[in-house]
Amino acid sequence: MQVNLRHKGSITILDIEGKVIGADALALKDIINEQIQMVESQGELGAKINIILNMERVQMMDSSGLGVLVASHTAIQRNEGNIVLLSLGGNVRSLIVMAKLMTIFDCYDTEAEAIAGIIFSNSSQDVK
Amino acid sequence: MGERTEQVITLSLPSSMRHVDLLKVIVTEILKETDFTEDIQEQANRAVIEAGINATKHSNKEGPEKQTTFQLIFAEDQFNVAIGDDSEEATPEETETERVVRLSLPSSMRHVYLLDVVVTEILKETDFTEDIQEQINLAVIEAGTNAIKHGNKENPIKKATIEFTLAEDKLEIRIEDEGDGFTRKEVADPLDPENLLKSSGRGLFLMEACMDSVTYENNGTIIKMVKYN
Repeated sequence: MQVNLRHKGSITILDIEGKVIGADALALKDIINEQIQMVESQGELGAKINIILNMERVQMMDSSGLGVLVASHTAIQRNEGNIVLLSLGGNVRSLIVMAKLMTIFDCYDTEAEAIAGIIFSNSSQDVK
Repeated sequence: MGERTEQVITLSLPSSMRHVDLLKVIVTEILKETDFTEDIQEQANRAVIEAGINATKHSNKEGPEKQTTFQLIFAEDQFNVAIGDDSEEATPEETETERVVRLSLPSSMRHVYLLDVVVTEILKETDFTEDIQEQINLAVIEAGTNAIKHGNKENPIKKATIEFTLAEDKLEIRIEDEGDGFTRKEVADPLDPENLLKSSGRGLFLMEACMDSVTYENNGTIIKMVKYN
């Protein structure tokens, strides 16, 4: 598995490639946690974590990988941030459906839609 | 190197030349974990393949009912291989139409990808569709992770042993660990709304969803999974 990090404004995009299984799933967890900690340690009041996981090149994911997605979602929700999934391939999508997690995650087909989704979610939270 | 950094992986293959590829793939992956230069890795790989071909072709006369066993012993700076051919009788459960591949791994999560590499190669030999191959691959990884993480508690001294039996009408996979076992009924349902957001506990569910049958034996330390053609 390889992970490439990109930033667009306050949004971090993780381009994930390969198989998110076994020890690699744990490595992905570390990368996401690092991003969470980085935003939290900056200490800006109201700084939110916004992450897009680009799954386009993920060949396969196992229950360890799925567990990382769920744990990251929970951690980021606590911060009122966003973690969204981009370009789910057939087998990863069916895995998420099988585990009944489709309603938990916001999934998008294009990066522009994912970014718009995060901006919209943040602005509607601010209104509240 | 007095420390216990040495790892032993055992691979047992039917003596057929087409399994040499499987040996090559796994040796390549193992050598990547060592500190040898690429050139030395290439040399070591070639030597193992030569020895494997020798055992398969000459000692076992390419009898697929016979097994060739490779013990791959490696540390950061060492790589040893012990090869055993099977001049004795084949084990009784093996018939001419069944082929058995056996892999024994030290219980470390980093070896899960080795298991993935082996399963992928084995599945190439079957007639399963790509979708079904992906399902079987996932089930094997889940079962292997289960044995390594939950069964053997990632103790590298303990082995997770995975055996693939390829028959004409089915693929049977047997996974054994050296742990204390578990009771299937006591494992919580990951689809229960109160468990949906848990970060673990989906492995058995996925194995059962992906395979035609999954049975638990010997207090759950042996799991048998079957997929029919």
